[in-house]
Amino acid sequence: MTRAPLEWNRPAPGRPVLAERRPNEGPKRTERPAPAFHDMMSRLATLERAPVFFSVQEATLRALARRLRRVKVAAGEMILYQGEPGDTIFFIERGRCRVVIERPPGAVTVALLADGDFFGEAACLLSRRQQASVYAQTDCYLLALDRQSLHGAMTSREPEALDELQKLADQKQRTFADITVQATWGLLLHEATVVGVYSPKGGSGGTCISLNLVGALSRRYPGEVLLLDLDFPYSHSALLAGLVPTSCLARMSSLPQESFEEVLLSAVLYHAGGPMILPGALRPEEADEVTPELVTRAIAVLRKSFRYIVVDLGVTITDSTLALFDLTQHVVVVTAPEMSAVKSAADALDILVQLGAPHDRLTVVLNNRSIKPAVTKSAVERSLKRPVDVEVGFDATRPEQAAVEGVILSLTNPKSEVARGAEALASLLDVKHSREGAEAVPAVPPGAGGAEER
Amino acid sequence: MRTASPASLVRDAHTSVRRSSLRRQLQGIVDGKTDASGLDLDDARLDAAAVIENMTRKRSMQSSTVQRLVVAFKSSGVADDVVERLAARSPQQRVQSARIVGALRIYEAVPWVAGLLESRDRSVSDAAARALGRIGGASSARALVKAINRKGLNRRLVAELARAAPDLFVETALGEPQPQSVRPALAIAAGLRRRRAAIGPLIGLLQTGSRRERVISCRALGWIRATTAAPLLADALLDRDWKIRMSAAKALGALRARSARDDLKYLRIDRNARVRKAAEYALGRLG
Repeated sequence: MTRAPLEWNRPAPGRPVLAERRPNEGPKRTERPAPAFHDMMSRLATLERAPVFFSVQEATLRALARRLRRVKVAAGEMILYQGEPGDTIFFIERGRCRVVIERPPGAVTVALLADGDFFGEAACLLSRRQQASVYAQTDCYLLALDRQSLHGAMTSREPEALDELQKLADQKQRTFADITVQATWGLLLHEATVVGVYSPKGGSGGTCISLNLVGALSRRYPGEVLLLDLDFPYSHSALLAGLVPTSCLARMSSLPQESFEEVLLSAVLYHAGGPMILPGALRPEEADEVTPELVTRAIAVLRKSFRYIVVDLGVTITDSTLALFDLTQHVVVVTAPEMSAVKSAADALDILVQLGAPHDRLTVVLNNRSIKPAVTKSAVERSLKRPVDVEVGFDATRPEQAAVEGVILSLTNPKSEVARGAEALASLLDVKHSREGAEAVPAVPPGAGGAEER
Repeated sequence: MRTASPASLVRDAHTSVRRSSLRRQLQGIVDGKTDASGLDLDDARLDAAAVIENMTRKRSMQSSTVQRLVVAFKSSGVADDVVERLAARSPQQRVQSARIVGALRIYEAVPWVAGLLESRDRSVSDAAARALGRIGGASSARALVKAINRKGLNRRLVAELARAAPDLFVETALGEPQPQSVRPALAIAAGLRRRRAAIGPLIGLLQTGSRRERVISCRALGWIRATTAAPLLADALLDRDWKIRMSAAKALGALRARSARDDLKYLRIDRNARVRKAAEYALGRLG
């Protein structure tokens, strides 16, 4: 008798078909209780809120949602304990959890997690011991996904997504470790220089310049340079750097003062090449949460922990942008050699001067986005009534390619035009804002950058 | 002294040769040199399950050895045959299949293996429990809890539940309404897992549980080294029930709770000999 091959990897309907059942023979199959419709919708909504599942197909999401286990934890109860093995990722459906790294004699709160966040992924995916303890701060309704269920649902359907999840777990683990070191020992004593990168016209390459500037600065000061992405409504710097953001500044708006610092620092993403990135908002509607007060509070905290804070201010001038202009020590205006961009840059420079920005703290970057610029450099300088400080040469498709690959050119390809421009800008900033007695770490030789190590 | 007949010696040698051949074949699959198409796992004398178990022992489901074997077994249809043999009439074949499924951590087969827990043949249900313990996950743990509910407190089932249960499974189950036989089993499993998240539910059980549950939760707290529970355990030394006094003394010994030394000394003149012995043991641990 020939038997048709059985489909092990069939994605739907969720339950695997393993063997043909003959009547009155064979083991009885214990059915998994199927969740009710509303329950299923709620599970799916929670999974969809987790940034790591943004790109996962719906069939896989449904399979994962079916395998989730509901867990209720009372306020104050321990959920995970540092140092123990673990095999489950927990998604917070409702409630708040505190992530604590216990380092005798004290303990450091490295994150405050809320609805839609998840934890326990490092132990589950990387088979490492729990890096931190997690306590329920309020009554928590969690959805638990154990290792077997995760592999059962994803290995056959989307192994790449599983790899992404592992990368994210590794990234988060390193961030926590870094924050603990900073919070425990208070190594960084000086306050940061805040540099605002403003691009009055969209498409001038403001985000590209700010990202590569951060890369160039972090080659000198690894781990001491932060990019605060306030380019609303779509803050994509983290994604352009190949990082998956899980939290953002906007979500800190309702935090109490005592936990603000820890939670803010825990939202910072760590890039293997040295720079750190804090997204302003993950969703367009969250941009409204970023108020001038929140920005001021955040900068006050971040200044203690970094050497340079580069703020991508985007295109529009809002109350938050104006508040930030007051806090910056240096403003970089990025423009492209196009009529409209140059006109906008001239207006922006006028406004900045009216706001009291000294001329020596203003830098103009001319970013050549095309091989034949419509306006010459001298014409741009005439329109702006000031010289162009840094000119970025045409770099063909490298910036777009880097964005697709999620790499920072100033770390991976120091010979590219964008990287050279960023390096020149970093040198200029370093000359103007270098600290007395502070010795810069020599830049990493080309090709030895950390971004490739990821 | 009985000596083996020449025929049986030849048969044993022949089996050994075939087992070595199977081992080499499996190693070839792991090394990526061959596939699983020619594998013959039917022969009961060959004990293919033991060979596979040896290869995958102490390896997680994410290890390349297990992953490659699973992929090769699935793509060649051998895994289908193994799962089909879970329904074989012969108990030996069902045991073999359950062991192979467990060794390879074939998660998709959990519902079929769980069905074998109902078998009246002890060897089959034990093999199924072991397989579920090795596979792990919430489905396996749920099946084991159901079996405990049906069969009562059973060592094998409880040990495998402790092994299979994912994070917070046992702890959550302890806080939910459970049949009489299940809660003590869950408490033992929580103790065996030695996860600190179980301390809260176990303390709750120590305070409000039945006599049996309190006895077990005392011991479980000792196994977990729950130093925060030491004052409660010291109070339990004064309980009217001798079993609770005994297990509290043992737990305090395991915790090396010096603060309870005086209470334990008082227990050396307890009316129950086993409590006295436990107190002596605990004081010995305190040094």
